[in-house]
Amino acid sequence: MHRLWPGLVLLLCLCSSLNVAGQTGSEGIAVPNPGSELWREVRQRSQPLPPGGQSEAPGLALLQEIRQRRLSEMPVGRSQLAGSGAGAVFINSLGDTWRRLRMERLVPIGGYLLGGALLLVLLFYLIRGRVPIRAGRSQHKLYRYSPYERLIHWFIAFNFILLALSGLILLFGRSLLLPWMGPQLFSAVASASKEGHNLFGPLFLLALALIFLQFVRRNIYQKGDLTWLLRGGGVIGKKHVPSNFFNMGEKTMFWMLILVGGVTALSGLVLLFPLFGQGRELMALSHLAHAVTAIVMITVIIGHIYIGTIGMEGALEGMRTGYCDLNWAREHHDWWAQKCEERGETVSAEDVARARGEVSPAHIAEERGR
Amino acid sequence: MIGAFIDGPLWYFSLTVFLLGVAWRLAGIVRRGVAADLAPARGDAARGALRTIFTRALPRRPVLHGGRVQMIAGYLFHLGLLVLLLFAQPHVDFYAERIAGFGWSTLPHWGFILASEIAFAGLILLWIYRVMNPVTRLLSGFGDHVASLLVFMVMFSGCLALGQSHEALRLLHLFLAELLLLYFPFSSLMHTFTFVLSRGYTGAAMARKGVNA
Amino acid sequence: MARMKFYCDAERCIECNGCVTACKNENEVPWGVNRRRVVTIKDGEPGERSLSVACMHCSDAPCAAVCPVDCFYTTDDGVVLHDKDICIGCGYCFYACPFGAPQFPDNGAFATRGKMDKCTFCAGGPVEDHSADEQRKYGANRLAEGKLPLCAEMCSTKALLAGDADVVSEIYRKRVVYRGASVLSRGVSYQNATLRAPSGLKGKASSRE
Repeated sequence: MHRLWPGLVLLLCLCSSLNVAGQTGSEGIAVPNPGSELWREVRQRSQPLPPGGQSEAPGLALLQEIRQRRLSEMPVGRSQLAGSGAGAVFINSLGDTWRRLRMERLVPIGGYLLGGALLLVLLFYLIRGRVPIRAGRSQHKLYRYSPYERLIHWFIAFNFILLALSGLILLFGRSLLLPWMGPQLFSAVASASKEGHNLFGPLFLLALALIFLQFVRRNIYQKGDLTWLLRGGGVIGKKHVPSNFFNMGEKTMFWMLILVGGVTALSGLVLLFPLFGQGRELMALSHLAHAVTAIVMITVIIGHIYIGTIGMEGALEGMRTGYCDLNWAREHHDWWAQKCEERGETVSAEDVARARGEVSPAHIAEERGR
Repeated sequence: MIGAFIDGPLWYFSLTVFLLGVAWRLAGIVRRGVAADLAPARGDAARGALRTIFTRALPRRPVLHGGRVQMIAGYLFHLGLLVLLLFAQPHVDFYAERIAGFGWSTLPHWGFILASEIAFAGLILLWIYRVMNPVTRLLSGFGDHVASLLVFMVMFSGCLALGQSHEALRLLHLFLAELLLLYFPFSSLMHTFTFVLSRGYTGAAMARKGVNA
Repeated sequence: MARMKFYCDAERCIECNGCVTACKNENEVPWGVNRRRVVTIKDGEPGERSLSVACMHCSDAPCAAVCPVDCFYTTDDGVVLHDKDICIGCGYCFYACPFGAPQFPDNGAFATRGKMDKCTFCAGGPVEDHSADEQRKYGANRLAEGKLPLCAEMCSTKALLAGDADVVSEIYRKRVVYRGASVLSRGVSYQNATLRAPSGLKGKASSRE
């Protein structure tokens, strides 16, 4: 009997290793070894699972249990190191999902979107050129933005540009800047971007709140807005579409800034203060929401900056000086201009220039000359 | 090499220039003296001076009207800057190592961040106001713009160096701070010290005349 | 070259947390950071299992893929390491890692992250071997001394195995074979095995490698 043992063990070895090697066929010897099968399943998770796998592979059931797939799932395990961030979650499947979304979707698509927006703006400029004030500049101006309104506009603009630049460095820096900057320099730049981004983020939220409170009343959609939209805001065709203080496009931009930008800011807060027990799954989701909304906002703002500066004659003046040209207002914000004229609110351009100190009274000009 | 220069000689040089320059400017103002007021005194000049130094911290109502944002932003900036200059932990460490030889209690890190947020909000608002408002724009000379740009750059580089992990960022912050120190005594930034003198002078003169101002 | 791997035998791990303690002591990690943790599933129920988890030193590491400053690298031994001088503490590796290996000392404001810290397979970091700098930033470098990670070396039940993947898998394969033998000879699985040895095998089935 004893002499038979080595041969029997050898036979068993063969059977068992075959079994271990992945053949959980029903005719094999069932070896309940949840641990090894668990690890085997973890390793071979990309391979299709056997049909009705649960009865055949006891490890599989366990594996399904320990993989955290959804945010709402409570971790099945326990750990004495619950405070270590990952805690009792054994395998976080969302991590790899987030990685694929970030690296294979967000970075390339976001890059193309932003590059495309810039290209589109350039093409538009080359084709359409600068939108002129057709009637030419008038001798009169309208008071458009109060100092406070201009102040908060430039405040949010300043914050937005800083945040956009630092955020884009963090998102695209590895593919665009790192190769020619080298790891040391780029690390310093990225660290600076991260710290600057973190510090200016809350200021953007503050600015957003101020902008909302100040401009919300003029941005509620009105009757004429649909026609404006249907006629493409005057881009299609030659005639301009009448509108109120803000036109449909501006209103939409405002609401995008408030809603989409609001999501950006709030999801940023989730990422910025990881001290309320939010897990990595929530933070990964917040990061995606943050990045997607930010890219959308940057695209929109590229258009906004284009129209506000080189795209249209007379558009910047309102935000720069507070006064806009009467003819510009007639062409772009017809109803508002009409109302202002009816109330007799037109100001002569000369008065504005003098009030702004652009034209000095004769005796001061003489003084300066000396 | 350039790092060692910024960290060593340039720091001591700029600190010396700053201290001597401030002393020289203040001494110059004090030595000029005040023209003798021959009229009989109708009030106590010293008390008026002391009072005005503090009461002018709040603008009068007519001045406040229309300049509320400016005042709020001004307070945000100055208080925030003062707090983070004196009580931020990296700054106190630096002073303890380089100047005082001893440290003092510091803000927790979140207080430091909060102070910087406040200071930045104030500075940016004030800066926009300065270039936007026709009066302040015309009042501002080249030197004023240099001063506000330098202050912004110092604060901004400090914010970028918050990670406290890259020597290059710290040196950039230090270098800009040194430039600021070098520029300080010869610019309108001297109002940090001279506001006491100007307010005191006004208060004394007015009190002596018996004017409640 | 060797391909370094950890392997935890769920049949042997008794959740003593000795590996966690050994790691903390050997690498002198900051407060709040645990490079290794033990997770127990079905705690207190039939079929309870514990596993010791740390960085798995993936071949295709998600952390390395998402790092915005590209501070990760894989050594010739297949150990995934990162450069703390490059790391900016953004936390992306923490989001991406399925095993929760990256840890952050929350020393900043509002729990902002410091530089990431994770299991190095006791292989130090990208600085001079056994320098004070390496000890401070990355902890021990036992691999350079020809030793294996302390967590596995200290494991009292030899549940946690570390080393060349071929050797580790060979050990584990043998264990599985012996467990299979135990089932066949005794009619019971390892899961609810008696502690008595099968007459033909020396010692307990589980103590054989």
